[in-house]
Amino acid sequence: MKRKLLLFIFFLATLSLSFGQEGLLPFRDSAALIQELKLQEEIPSFSYKFFIPKVSKNSKIPGDSTFLWVETDTAFISKAFKNGTLIDSLYEPLKGDSASILFFVYEEKTNINGLRSYLETMYATGDFVLAEDKEQPENDILLVASSNNYQPLDAYKNRLLGDFKLLAVTLIILFFIFSAASMIIFMLIFKTQRNQREENIKNYEQEIIGPLTNLLFEKDLEEISQMSNEEISDIFPKSLFKKRLFKQVLIERIIGLNKKMKGEFKDKLKTLYKRLGLVELTKANLKDSRWDKISAGLVQVNEMDLGELINEVKSFTNSKNFYVRSLAGATLLNLSEKVDLSFLKDQDYPLSDWQQMNYLRIIKFVGSSKFLNIPILLKSKNQSVREFAIKLVRMLGRVDLIAELHMINEASTDDEKIELINTYDALGAHMEVEFINNCMLSTNPDLKKIAVKAAGNLGNSYSEVILMDILVQTIDFRLRRACLTSLSKLNTETFEKFVSTQPLPENQALKAQIQDPLLSNV
Amino acid sequence: MYNFLFYFLIELVGLFYLILSFSVIVIYFIIMILSALEMRDYRRKNRFADYEDIITSPIAPGVSILAPAYNEGSNIVQNVKSLLSLHYGKFEVIIINDGSKDDTLTKLLDAFELQKVSYAYNSEIITQEVKGVYKSQNKSYRRLTVIDKANGGKADALNAGINISQMEILACIDVDCILANDSLTRMVRPFMEETNRKVIAVGGAIGIANNCDVQDGTVTKYRVPQSTLGQFQVIEYCRAFLMGRMAWTRINGLMLISGAFGFFRRDLVLKVGGYFPKTVGEDMELVVRMRRYMEEKKIPYKVSFIPDPLCWTEVPEDVEVLGRQRNRWMRGTIETLQLHRKIGLNPKFGILGTISYPFWSVFEKMAPIIEIFGLIYTLILLIIGDFSAIYFLALLFMIYLLSLLVSSFSILYEQISYNNYKNKSDLKKLIWIILIEPLYIHPKVLLWGLKGHLDFIIGKGGWGQMIRTGFKTAEERKTIEAQAEKSL
Repeated sequence: MKRKLLLFIFFLATLSLSFGQEGLLPFRDSAALIQELKLQEEIPSFSYKFFIPKVSKNSKIPGDSTFLWVETDTAFISKAFKNGTLIDSLYEPLKGDSASILFFVYEEKTNINGLRSYLETMYATGDFVLAEDKEQPENDILLVASSNNYQPLDAYKNRLLGDFKLLAVTLIILFFIFSAASMIIFMLIFKTQRNQREENIKNYEQEIIGPLTNLLFEKDLEEISQMSNEEISDIFPKSLFKKRLFKQVLIERIIGLNKKMKGEFKDKLKTLYKRLGLVELTKANLKDSRWDKISAGLVQVNEMDLGELINEVKSFTNSKNFYVRSLAGATLLNLSEKVDLSFLKDQDYPLSDWQQMNYLRIIKFVGSSKFLNIPILLKSKNQSVREFAIKLVRMLGRVDLIAELHMINEASTDDEKIELINTYDALGAHMEVEFINNCMLSTNPDLKKIAVKAAGNLGNSYSEVILMDILVQTIDFRLRRACLTSLSKLNTETFEKFVSTQPLPENQALKAQIQDPLLSNV
Repeated sequence: MYNFLFYFLIELVGLFYLILSFSVIVIYFIIMILSALEMRDYRRKNRFADYEDIITSPIAPGVSILAPAYNEGSNIVQNVKSLLSLHYGKFEVIIINDGSKDDTLTKLLDAFELQKVSYAYNSEIITQEVKGVYKSQNKSYRRLTVIDKANGGKADALNAGINISQMEILACIDVDCILANDSLTRMVRPFMEETNRKVIAVGGAIGIANNCDVQDGTVTKYRVPQSTLGQFQVIEYCRAFLMGRMAWTRINGLMLISGAFGFFRRDLVLKVGGYFPKTVGEDMELVVRMRRYMEEKKIPYKVSFIPDPLCWTEVPEDVEVLGRQRNRWMRGTIETLQLHRKIGLNPKFGILGTISYPFWSVFEKMAPIIEIFGLIYTLILLIIGDFSAIYFLALLFMIYLLSLLVSSFSILYEQISYNNYKNKSDLKKLIWIILIEPLYIHPKVLLWGLKGHLDFIIGKGGWGQMIRTGFKTAEERKTIEAQAEKSL
């Protein structure tokens, strides 16, 4: 196949050669060709030489700088000339010496036919143009133009700017190099600054700890409050006290000590905080536009009991920022004389578990010393606040508020009902059994499960009936397990009877699990 | 005509690669900016978080730690003890022995005084046969439950754990991971904070424990691994966790939570049917399925990420093992994307469908294919003589610089945020790896990715075996180093 293909290609090649025999140049004979040569200034790879045969072996020819004759055994041969227009003028002085012309193509001697063939090839490729055509370019300007490749102003153009893709890549490389350099510089500056800052903090802490300890242990609260401004300003070096970082370290140190210490020491620290004028920094923080600065200010108000800033704190309780409103709430709970929880009742945003956890900790702490108006929260329009109120009753063990909870039993949502049942269960509110029984019949699987679980502790004989009904109807394994567990808690006999009358392998397995002491918590 | 078509095609492919290169650059710059913003916010928020409350608060959710174990006999007891000592109030540890062929179960039974209990196991999610459930008679280990089951793979083992878990949050981890004492408190926080959207899952950053000192289940001294491949993975993990996942979290587009350390809402995991055991990318597949469920139900949700180094694991330093791991990751990615191709470019699925899925499809799944075709394209250009050396070198240099920039940025992140690798020689080693990675390690990663594609096509599966040397305590390390010095 390959062979056939090669033969075919060869055939085509020979065909094209045979059809290309016809002469292309308009020269009738060799004289016309010579005439054309005399009109050409230069033909690529073409040259000619003059030849004078020797008359005798000792014949000489005078030295000539134009021809630069070279002597051979039989003749004298001139140097090679390229310019055809000089043929006549060069030949004129040599006529008497019976000189003739030799043609060379690629420095190889050729005859007139060889030269014709060469010129035809050159003519076909456009490398040889007839003198006649050259003389009249204005008549065939389009022809001339089309014979040349169009390269507009390429010679004057910068390649980088001409190639937009390469330009884009180069710009990006430069940008990367700039970015990388900036990043390394930033990294170095950042590291240096951080190291410097850490070093400063360490030094400032050393400067702070001595005078602060002396004050706390050597002076009592009254002495600190009665210290003059001059005495106060002499506690720390004045040059350092002007620095913001020093004050920040001082605040952190005082807050840190305040968290660890108790009794009079706490009061001393709080008095000192105010006497040192650090409250101004706290105020500035609260006025800042950055949420983290405001949060830092709120932490300072909270930790140092800055009651005078309570109005500023109140303005943040409904802040858009989660951290700001959480900290504002926590601060209000801590500082308000009367913890009426009204700010919580009016919360627009839902309370997250995180906020509830923080508030619960504070409420537990202040609950013993301050009045807590939990029922007000049950009237909030915000469901998450109402749920939190129910949790508070449970977690603070406020049995006295069960009646308040009872009032919202029916009006509450399913999520609130879940909290209510958990609370009744935790507080042992047997009087709410009817509510629990109703919830066991709910279509909400989560509410149903919680009610079933609570029925184990608070249920009655009707609860047993409901539990058995659920067991017959449901295929939900977890619910069945909860039902059987509750049934076994409520009435062992009923439980045993039920399992024996319903001898499904699943019931037997659940019975074994319920009765396994190692699985009592599962 | 054909000639014209050929050159037209060549031009078209060239344009495709040019657009792709610029897209890569733009995307990585966006990732760098987004991750920087997220990291800044995270660190600011962290200043005001008091984690001590969570440990004892009754409001904090309970956590079920699920740790599948397969032939982990050498370290299982130490690892479980470490898990049981985590600082958290309400949690249980469920170890699932996934048909180990070694003495994993025996060691657990002996060390924790375990006894088979009459647990009524229910396959809420269908799993391989559960042979027994064990609880300890010793009250100190009351939080521990061990499940012994027939081998079914990691996803199947986790499903068995989910079936018996009791708490609201599932912490799915690798049993050989070292968890920081405060890992649960920190990972639980996003679940508790969010109010407007439901946090369905939280991912955690994973640190590389090779060559680090471990004392009582905590990393006490950080060092970069000794091998080049280990060091490369440090950079890779920084890039993935501190940059990539932080950026995706910023736009709520996170599609992958590492199987070694991920937290999920249990009720939702059950609703979507648990892990899919037929894929090797079960971690990614679960997150995508959960997200898809939330999008379909039109419930506002969020997938969070915690960048703190709370979990440490030993990474493979052997070329073959690492190759197998990467092969598996690639297959997992392909399988997940294939399974959920419905969401691709579908605006109904929000950011998941319009941004995350296409990104993963092009820049993760197709990356090795695109790269290898780029190489072939360059060869074709060379053969037909249409190859511009200056253009080629400029593009190559540009991509190399991008790689350098991104990797240095991730190390800068680590230094600014955590500064775990304090030793200057460690930093120098990492910088050296950054310089050689594109030339020395990336071609290997490319080949592993291609192998993953090939194995996916021919249906070759499996996990391969991870060879572990085990974590070293500071004392053990000293002994090993002393022995090494002697032998020298």
